[in-house]
Amino acid sequence: MAEGIDPLELMPVSRMARPLRALLRGWAGVVLGFLYLPIAFMVLFSFGESRTPGLPFRGPTLHWYQEMLSNGVLMEAVWTSIQLAAVATTLSTLIGTMAAFPLVRSGFRSAGAARIVFTLPIMLPGALIGIALLIFFRRALGVDLSFWTVVMGHIVFTMPFVVLIVSARLQGFDRNLEWAAADLGASPARAMRHVVLPLIAPAIVAGALISVTLSIDEFVITFFTVGPQSTLPTYIYTQIKFGVTPEVNAVATVLLLGTVLLLGLAWAAAGQARRLSRIFGRRRARERIG
Amino acid sequence: MSVPAIELVDATKRYGTSMALDRVSLRIERGEFFCLLGPSGCGKTTTLNLIGGFIPLTSGELRIEGQRVNDMPPHKRNVNTVFQNYALFPHMTVEENVAFGLRMARLGSGETATRVDEYLALVGLEAFHDRLPAQLSGGQQQRVALARALARRPAVLLLDEPLGALDLKLRKQMQVELARIHRQVGTTFVFVTHDQEEALSMATRIAVMSAGRVVQSGTPRDIYYHPVDRFVADFIGESNFLEGVAVRDGARSYVRLGGGSTVDAPADAPPGSVTLMVRPESVSVGPAPATNGEASLSGRVIHVAFIGNHTRVTVRTPAGDIVALRPHSEGSASSALDELLDQEVCAWWSPRDSTIVAHGSTEKIDERLV
Ligand SMILES: Nc1ncnc2c1ncn2[C@@H]1O[C@H](COP(=O)(O)OP(=O)(O)OP(=O)(O)O)[C@@H](O)[C@H]1O
Ligand SMILES: [Mg+2]
Repeated sequence: MAEGIDPLELMPVSRMARPLRALLRGWAGVVLGFLYLPIAFMVLFSFGESRTPGLPFRGPTLHWYQEMLSNGVLMEAVWTSIQLAAVATTLSTLIGTMAAFPLVRSGFRSAGAARIVFTLPIMLPGALIGIALLIFFRRALGVDLSFWTVVMGHIVFTMPFVVLIVSARLQGFDRNLEWAAADLGASPARAMRHVVLPLIAPAIVAGALISVTLSIDEFVITFFTVGPQSTLPTYIYTQIKFGVTPEVNAVATVLLLGTVLLLGLAWAAAGQARRLSRIFGRRRARERIG
Repeated sequence: MSVPAIELVDATKRYGTSMALDRVSLRIERGEFFCLLGPSGCGKTTTLNLIGGFIPLTSGELRIEGQRVNDMPPHKRNVNTVFQNYALFPHMTVEENVAFGLRMARLGSGETATRVDEYLALVGLEAFHDRLPAQLSGGQQQRVALARALARRPAVLLLDEPLGALDLKLRKQMQVELARIHRQVGTTFVFVTHDQEEALSMATRIAVMSAGRVVQSGTPRDIYYHPVDRFVADFIGESNFLEGVAVRDGARSYVRLGGGSTVDAPADAPPGSVTLMVRPESVSVGPAPATNGEASLSGRVIHVAFIGNHTRVTVRTPAGDIVALRPHSEGSASSALDELLDQEVCAWWSPRDSTIVAHGSTEKIDERLV
């Protein structure tokens, strides 16, 4: 928009260019509407007064949000989801970060292939992973489904994202910085702590945040691997069997807000890389002096 | 003799089948400003990385201050490096960068602060304590890298083309600065460059490298006026090469050149087929030599070029073209040279200023060095 001139305005390639462009714009609008209109209605209805959501809209009211907070079963599902996300994220961030190092650095010929194998679960259908895990836990290991089986299930699909993000950051990491640290008297462990980890911290944080959002939202794999407890998505699913209540809309709206917030944070973490590195580096540096 | 700061004995580094360094032996004395000079890919960085401990030797021996350090990891070696791309820690301020090496040495915080101030002052960056590397110019980053490496007071400072990324003016300025800092701290400097002028002007000694070997090492003067072979002579400045046969006749030796002319040769010329080298600035051009005993060739001036501080005169003689570089001042001298074009003249030099160089393979040269 800098020059304010659309090249198509200056160069009518054909007589059809103008109407075609208008048509494409309209089409883009339709696609956007298709993507976001349902979500917009869901958010809108969560503020509606009517018990059976629909038009015309009456409200707004926070009634369904109060209802949501006083629903013990729902709150328990939320709490399970939070614990699940916390444990799964911690483990997948740890394992994923450690896996990224040999993938980027060992320099073995099949590093590219290894990366594909590591990140393949991103592309596999959730149902497939879910069924495979279910069979594995029940038939191969012979264990009952529980909180820990669902944690494993979540690690399977969140860890690849951590591997992907952290190894991208490691790829661009200047090895000279490690040499410089060693040159200045840092043992490999201290070079890792004072130089490498602070510099890849933004990627680790971004990976962890994405892992949290994925875990909180995940339905399919949870459904196959979870024990007697319900998580937020499985609770919503069971509720919907009895019809979509505005309460479910309220829960989903909160979930949406949380997800957007976490993704925003992950994005900011990547953008504020230097500041984050400094925070991580500094705390460690102070430890040393003190 | 005292213990040298660095000693390489037959140091060899092989990558697969390619030899990055081939039996290099060097002795660098304490307090020297030692330059590794050579074309791209000749093994300068490899040599520095071996000394720094970043890559292991394939065979041979490396001693720092008399101690064999082949298997010592870099963080235990008493040497520090200024990397070509500076390798400043981007998440630390200037102050934290310089303090890093001191912290790793577990120096007290008081002593650390004093040292940081001292070395930032040495490189003229007192006012930049809290800047991040990204907020500094290339020249300033270079100075931080220097202060960071020197603050540990290493026995040897390694510098890998530290001025390579700077523009010409800043480069000249930093050359002067580096020389001053070297005098001030007295540390041994091992300096890598592929700029012959930089090496000549700064080094106490130079090792000229080619294809993983040290072809010649010596003082700048030595290397400039008495290169061992055509490669060194060509790499360092412009030269006139004359092919001929050296003849010893009693106390006098001379070289019979192509075209039937003869010139007096340096006293140590070995009889036989030789290449005589003389630097352009040693050659005078005029009607005839002013004194006796000069080596002299007559010919026709085919080119005169004004190149700023000098005039470059090319004389075509039966033995080949001779280039003479003459200083001039504005006015009479330069116009006198201009008028030489197409004239029959003499080009002459003192036999002491010429030298016999080898022109064979590097194998031959190594034999001469052993
Ligand atoms: N990791 C490596 N693997 C294989 N060959 C290498 C490796 N590092 C260097 N070499 C080879 O060793 C030789 C010497 O390289 P080196 O980096 O020491 O050259 P240099 O003199 O520093 O050159 P430049 O002036 O371009 O920096 C080169 O032929 C290079 O290709
Ligand atoms: Mg190099």
